[in-house]
Amino acid sequence: MTRLAHVLVCLVASVALGEAVAAPITFNTALPVGQGKFIVRGQFIASRSGDDPLSIGREFNTNSLVSVVAYGVSAKLALFGVLPYTNKELRVAGGPKRSNSGIGDTTLFGRYTLHQRDWPGRTLRVGGVAGIKAPTGDDDESDGLGRLPAGLQSGTGSWDAFVAGVVSYQRLDFGVDAQLSYRANTQANNFEAGDQIQLDASYQHRLWPGDISSDTRGFLYGVLEFNIIYRDNNKLAGQTDPDSGGTTVFITPGIQYAAKKVILEAAAQLPVVQNLNGSALESDFILRGGFRINF
Amino acid sequence: MKQALYVMTLTLLFSGTVLADTHYHIEVDGIACPFCLYGIEKKLRKLDGVTEIQSDLEEGRFFIKVADGATLSEDRVREAVKSAGFTLRSFEEIEPENVE
Repeated sequence: MTRLAHVLVCLVASVALGEAVAAPITFNTALPVGQGKFIVRGQFIASRSGDDPLSIGREFNTNSLVSVVAYGVSAKLALFGVLPYTNKELRVAGGPKRSNSGIGDTTLFGRYTLHQRDWPGRTLRVGGVAGIKAPTGDDDESDGLGRLPAGLQSGTGSWDAFVAGVVSYQRLDFGVDAQLSYRANTQANNFEAGDQIQLDASYQHRLWPGDISSDTRGFLYGVLEFNIIYRDNNKLAGQTDPDSGGTTVFITPGIQYAAKKVILEAAAQLPVVQNLNGSALESDFILRGGFRINF
Repeated sequence: MKQALYVMTLTLLFSGTVLADTHYHIEVDGIACPFCLYGIEKKLRKLDGVTEIQSDLEEGRFFIKVADGATLSEDRVREAVKSAGFTLRSFEEIEPENVE
């Protein structure tokens, strides 16, 4: 179930959006949401995990639709609400398929701009992020085989907290973002997901147009991101699960089109390092596609 | 008669000056893509009297036209730009005869 945790964390981490310019696809940006303004973001995330160290043909797939609303309380403070709808499926070769769908846990967080410096055609922002994940998704669902394992539940049942620091430097021709985050998970239903530390970096390069003119209506960016994720072991009934946790590094090429009112984006997270504990299932890839609308 | 014509001429000249649209030229720092422009334009359009905005993304410039008799103060524009999350670099009122 380590893969699922990664997807959920990336899902939450990817939703903080900025009003301005290109922004990372898989994590936060420090760029602003204007005072009194709303931004709506939708993202489809498909995760496939089928590299099974136990060689028993396990496959764990999730498809999620994530809805995000951001509101600018002030030029420096923005609040975000995130609600996912997720379909999860676990297969074992020669065994039954177990699946579940439903609305997941709600994440609420705020981002405050700690430092801002603007120049002609470029900006530097440093922000702090803090939030909670509330257990709004069902966490006691069953199928014909009995209660579903924690990883297949729509919700976790736990209240979790996270903090992050993010730096964004944006110019007309490229942008760079970096984030360091820590997530503290709590126990629910005799299960506690391991705490997580994550380091992310993103580079966005303007591919088109080559020259800006008065007719320029949008920018097309090529995006390259890195996600280094370390997760502690999960705990089952207070006992450390040796087949959970570890380190994963994703490299994420993507593309993004930013116009005045809309941003369209797509990316593929490809695991390049997976030092996972025990027999934790390894990731094959995560695909993301979505939009942001500036109201 | 001469006096009446003189008064009418002065009135027309004066009213022509007062009723001519006022224009402003501002520059904003921190703009790095079209998505930024929209946020700032939206804030500027909410200012009383603003009827038209033209923007130059590369230079971070905005050309603002306001209705007859309306005026903008630098403080109001600065606050609007700040609330969008950016920084006002310069503010200039353009005389009607200098508007291209």
